[in-house]
Amino acid sequence: MWQYILRRTGQAMVVIILVTFLTFLLLHNLPGGAARSALGLDATPAQIDAYNEQMGYDKPFLIQYMMYLGRLASGDLGFSFQQNQPVADLIVQRLPKTMLLSFLAAFVALVVSIPLGAIQAVTRGKVPDYFVTAVALFAYATPLFFLGMLLIVLFSQTTSLLPPQAPQGFGLGEILADWPGLILPVATLAIATLAAYTRYVRSSMIDNLQENYIRTAKAKGLSGGRVVVRHALRNSLFPVISLLGMYIPALFSGALVVEQLFNYPGMGLMFWQATQTRDFPILLATTTIVALATVIGSLLADFAYAVADPRVRLSGDS
Amino acid sequence: MTPPAPADDVLLDISDLHVSIPQRKGVATPLRGVDLTVRAGRMLGVVGESGSGKTMTALAVMGLLPGNGHVSSGSIRFDGVDLTAVSGRESRRRRGTEIGMIFQDPMTSLNPTMTIGAQVSEGAMIHEGLSRRDARTRAVDILRRVGMPRADRIVDDFPHQLSGGMRQRAMIAMALVNHPQLLIADEPTTALDVTTQRQILDLIEDIQDEFGSATILVTHDLGVVAGRADEVAVMYAGRVVESAPAQELFRDPAHQYTRALLAALPERARQGDDRLFAIPGMPPDLRSETTGCPFAPRCHAAQEDCRSGPVPVITRGDRHEVACLHPGDLAEAGHDLDDVRTPETPVGGRGHSAATDAGEAPGTVLDVAGLTKEYPALGGSFIRRTVGTVSAVSDVSFSVREGETFGLVGESGCGKSTLGRLIALLENPTRGELRLNDEDVTVVTGRRESRAAHREVQMMFQDSSAAMDPRMRIDEVLSEPLVIQRIGTKDSRSERAEELVADVGLADDVLERYPHEFSGGQVQRIGLARSLALGPRLVVCDEPVSALDVSVQAQVLNLMKDVQAEHGLAYVFISHDLSVVRHMADRIGVMYLGMMVEQGPADVVSETPRHPYTRVLIDAVPTVDREDERDRLLVEGELPNATDPPSGCRFRTRCPFAQEICATTPPVHEFGEEGDSHSVACHFPLPADGSLPVRAEASA
Repeated sequence: MWQYILRRTGQAMVVIILVTFLTFLLLHNLPGGAARSALGLDATPAQIDAYNEQMGYDKPFLIQYMMYLGRLASGDLGFSFQQNQPVADLIVQRLPKTMLLSFLAAFVALVVSIPLGAIQAVTRGKVPDYFVTAVALFAYATPLFFLGMLLIVLFSQTTSLLPPQAPQGFGLGEILADWPGLILPVATLAIATLAAYTRYVRSSMIDNLQENYIRTAKAKGLSGGRVVVRHALRNSLFPVISLLGMYIPALFSGALVVEQLFNYPGMGLMFWQATQTRDFPILLATTTIVALATVIGSLLADFAYAVADPRVRLSGDS
Repeated sequence: MTPPAPADDVLLDISDLHVSIPQRKGVATPLRGVDLTVRAGRMLGVVGESGSGKTMTALAVMGLLPGNGHVSSGSIRFDGVDLTAVSGRESRRRRGTEIGMIFQDPMTSLNPTMTIGAQVSEGAMIHEGLSRRDARTRAVDILRRVGMPRADRIVDDFPHQLSGGMRQRAMIAMALVNHPQLLIADEPTTALDVTTQRQILDLIEDIQDEFGSATILVTHDLGVVAGRADEVAVMYAGRVVESAPAQELFRDPAHQYTRALLAALPERARQGDDRLFAIPGMPPDLRSETTGCPFAPRCHAAQEDCRSGPVPVITRGDRHEVACLHPGDLAEAGHDLDDVRTPETPVGGRGHSAATDAGEAPGTVLDVAGLTKEYPALGGSFIRRTVGTVSAVSDVSFSVREGETFGLVGESGCGKSTLGRLIALLENPTRGELRLNDEDVTVVTGRRESRAAHREVQMMFQDSSAAMDPRMRIDEVLSEPLVIQRIGTKDSRSERAEELVADVGLADDVLERYPHEFSGGQVQRIGLARSLALGPRLVVCDEPVSALDVSVQAQVLNLMKDVQAEHGLAYVFISHDLSVVRHMADRIGVMYLGMMVEQGPADVVSETPRHPYTRVLIDAVPTVDREDERDRLLVEGELPNATDPPSGCRFRTRCPFAQEICATTPPVHEFGEEGDSHSVACHFPLPADGSLPVRAEASA
């Protein structure tokens, strides 16, 4: 088991280094240049050269990358001249908010999709299955921003049940205190992910219900509910663990839209604003962090899978 | 059949049972009037080919019919209660406590993520409300009783950590946990090797004695029920066509289907006749209605009344019931089934006679010397690296002559398939020499040389449909080898394809169809045709009939012999089934854990095996004819790990005669006195008279 964790962590490190390299390469080659966007259109060539020299942008690409890696290792994510703050500080403020939003959405999606998918599998080819499939596909096909607006119109404009704007508090405590404001953003993000999860749980469950061991369980005289929950559902959830790890990028891009829509001061909103103003340090840092989160997320999913599934657990250390 | 008046000892009485399963197109009726009785404490063998309804009958008793399947008429009386009429809850209660079932494939039939203990004890926890701790104790106890080694540790293991035989023991323990009155075993040993099969069948018999439970043993293998079951019921097309006390059924089979089935067994054709009796055609479609006897279209003795009339059940002697209008004559009792022998005309005589008839010694097609194949065993913490080797084939030498069949037998994991792939040049050996037609092909380099070598040797697989591209039509499948070899034109290739299907007894129209449209037997014919496309001198057949029913198996084996005679082909015939190999092969090689332990003429090796392992293998094969009551040699345990094979003789860890020298010195092949072609790699070969020497130490 430990050997397995060690090996997978080592592989993840390699992936992370490759990811930072690619991100750096992409942003480095963006047109316009950091100096121009930082200093404005009126800057003279001399000013730009001076800026580039100060920031190290005149050095060869690889040297710049190594410098970036060095700063990254010491937690220095650069300085946003537009916000006049170190990027690291900005991220410390905003990352927890986005994480709160994403985790809540993922949690709601799981809690709803697992029973829903299970019910679909058990009633396969009957009315409940078709109904949920239709609703899920509808939700899946609806663009996130439209879904969010629809919810705002339904629950704030027409009925005034819920506030149309996310909580604006500075810390997590303040945000949680204003929880009704979270309901719509979390629901928007959850509904979009839920559709995919439900389909996944359904097909995984259908596969498992056809396995021979289900027949064995029935032959023991177990009740239908126990066969489904104890034997089929448990084994159907292992693939969902991997799905969770893979869904981190999707959650972030969802947060990008949702934060914008509900004016929620998280990473997504900051990223969107940074693209508008070409705030390179923020773009670079955010992309790197999302990439890191993706790699770490799938790593954790693999570990969780190994802990949950004895077949992986035991073959991993051989 | 008229059910006998329920006597006191009748535990299960199935009467005129019909089951139908609505499907997208029409309704399938897998059971069409089944009558069966099981007496308390007795074993009933239910025998039939695939689709005969034997498993469906078992599932109906369990109340576990698949899909929308339901009992449409008839009754299943268990202990006086009609199971078709009880509620779901009541049926569930019986399932766990009064009727237990053992399923076929112990790997897929166990939940992969629950410990053995949890699965075994689950039934007791549900039905008796045992606590977790008591349930665990019960699991350990019942696992011990089914002979599970280290039961107290196995309870915490998961199914994939156990060998096939141990999984089946766990399965049996699970069925027994609440001491059911009736145990249903559905093909309990089909996925297991013969030596393990024997252990499991013995266990089921012991359990029946110990627990006093009745047993239904469902199997396609007549040999499995012979000598074990008290009574046997033969099923065909959803009906019981014949039932009788076991001994009587095998001594005096009456129904023409039973007689044909027995005649199709390779072991029955052993003496003299080279061709097997093959039942023509296929069983009827379960969606169509049949009138008269369902076997009539395939029966050699069928007459007009069989096709039209009702078929009454006649009683012959004590408890022997037959649903046949023209049963075999009592006067022909015994094994004389010549009256039902071969309605087809054989194409040739003995397969290997082509060269010998010409008076000259046949040339050698294949010569294998010291062939070894090792695979790297991967491991390591950070980067995958080789941490050892798996010895799949070790120092194997033999040769095959023109027109000859060399049979390779051994249990799974013995290396016979790897050896086959090495011979077919699909893999490169680690060491040793491989000569085809006197040319060294050990390592073939270059595209041209490789193509030339592959023209000489081809392969036929167990599941030919899986070995064909599902999106290729049969004509493409058959001409592809020619395209790859750049032989002929488009026209000549399609001519060749027509020739090939004619060779294997199929009509032209198969060329335009796809692999999935064919039955198992037809697909094997096409697989044989494909292997013949390039006109090879040697065909390696890897378990070519293992997936087929006995009657179809006979058709394919006959065809293989005909084709061999016609083309002067040599076969390397790989199979786990000794009676099939014995029927097909001129010479046999027996493999154990990568090594060839014995080889020689087929008759000599199977009559007087010299290696203890060969003897074990032969004694473990369940056969219909048990007249030979010599001592049987049994082994315990299962195949050791090939990553770290035992030193010296690899069989020594399971050999009852092993001595010190066996662990230190690997035995070399030595030839016996009866001829120079029978060789055995053993320090203490068995005497040639078939007796068993006194064991070195007392062991079961």
